[in-house]
Amino acid sequence: MKKIAVTGLCVCSLSFSSHAQLLKKLKDKVNDAMTDKTSQTTTQGTQTNTNSNSSGSPTNKTGGGLTNTTPPDVNQQIADAEKSHASGNYSDARYSLQQALMSIEVQIGREILQSLPATVTGLQKDTLQNKVMSTAWGWNNLTIQSVYKKGDQQMTVTIGNNTFYSGFVAMYFNNAGYMQTSSNGKDENVKQTKVKSYRALITYDDSKGYTLMVQLGQASLIVWECVNFATEQDVMNAANAFDIDGIKKMLGEQ
Amino acid sequence: MKKLIILAFIIPAINSFSQDFTTDMASAKTAYSSGKLEDAHFALMQAMQEIDLIIGKEVLKLMPQKMDSNTVNTSDDNVTSNVGFIGTTIHRSWGTDKNVDLSIIGNSPLVATLNAFLNTPVLGGMMSNGNNKIIKVQGYKGQLQKEDNGSGQTNYTIQIPLGNSLITFAGKNCTDTQIMAWANTMPLQQIAKLIQ
Repeated sequence: MKKIAVTGLCVCSLSFSSHAQLLKKLKDKVNDAMTDKTSQTTTQGTQTNTNSNSSGSPTNKTGGGLTNTTPPDVNQQIADAEKSHASGNYSDARYSLQQALMSIEVQIGREILQSLPATVTGLQKDTLQNKVMSTAWGWNNLTIQSVYKKGDQQMTVTIGNNTFYSGFVAMYFNNAGYMQTSSNGKDENVKQTKVKSYRALITYDDSKGYTLMVQLGQASLIVWECVNFATEQDVMNAANAFDIDGIKKMLGEQ
Repeated sequence: MKKLIILAFIIPAINSFSQDFTTDMASAKTAYSSGKLEDAHFALMQAMQEIDLIIGKEVLKLMPQKMDSNTVNTSDDNVTSNVGFIGTTIHRSWGTDKNVDLSIIGNSPLVATLNAFLNTPVLGGMMSNGNNKIIKVQGYKGQLQKEDNGSGQTNYTIQIPLGNSLITFAGKNCTDTQIMAWANTMPLQQIAKLIQ
């Protein structure tokens, strides 16, 4: 059983890697195709704008988008789960439990979003971009996101299980021998640091800006992605404005 | 007689799980009513694990006791409810040397890749190395893989995605005809209803 679990975990990175590479190739192909189409259109010059694409089908120009639906009623889902369990319908009981868990996670996510500061080092919270996403159940699929802006500066705060970063963070924190060394006098672009006594990792990339990551207990992560921040210290100052202990407590982490 | 003894152990185990489930649901309701969302969340996660264990044991009950001359190794039966990336794992083996082995893993990370292989002819061709092919078991698409174990014997593995769960069915020192016949003794439709 252990072999199965370990094999599954070991292969998952390969499958995600190959899957991600495949998706990237497909995306690049689409982008290349779109670039070719655009350049052909502009060189023709006399092409007039129409409401249809090259296949003659109409392109969408209107629509109200999707409305937010209320999360499932937790009490109703609990009652349904109990009823299904009593009648031996375990598959339905499981489904009702999933719905109840998702609903609670969305409510917890909203509480966390409300608890985040309204301004952080002059950046204002853009509440229209608040997001709480729960795709199944358990913190592994919960993502809470808030965006702060000022001019061309933007800070995206993501709380939950961020699969993209969590393996990267674990690798650094769990491998004492792993160090990023600088070479040729260049500044290192990954280093360990601390945010309010929590171990953290900060990275810098010219195309992405700063990314600061703090592990929250056993299963969660908080990530600050900072674009157009002048210095590392600016990022640290912004992160220190957050009540990490409070967020941890709301997530039930120790 | 053996079946009665096995049932005598399973039924009390399921009853104890039911009591845990009932207790957890009561805790969840109380916590939610008093606004303790995290406590309610934890109680529901516990209830979910118990349901997964019950479902796992129900799946094992559906499995055949024999695969030709390979009888079930009941001591090897295992249901594990995981809280994390991978979901519930269900395991059973048959035969003295565990010649036939079955694993069902919920939320398997391999399902996406396998589905791409099964449903995209170009990808299927790119990923094929002559030792695997697409098959169907009771209407469910799957992959049959052949492996030479180095001592003149051939092993076969069938992988079938069912929703987000992966069924891996392996046979040692057998033929492809044999493993297909064994796989067809599993009631996949009933299993799918339980685990999806």
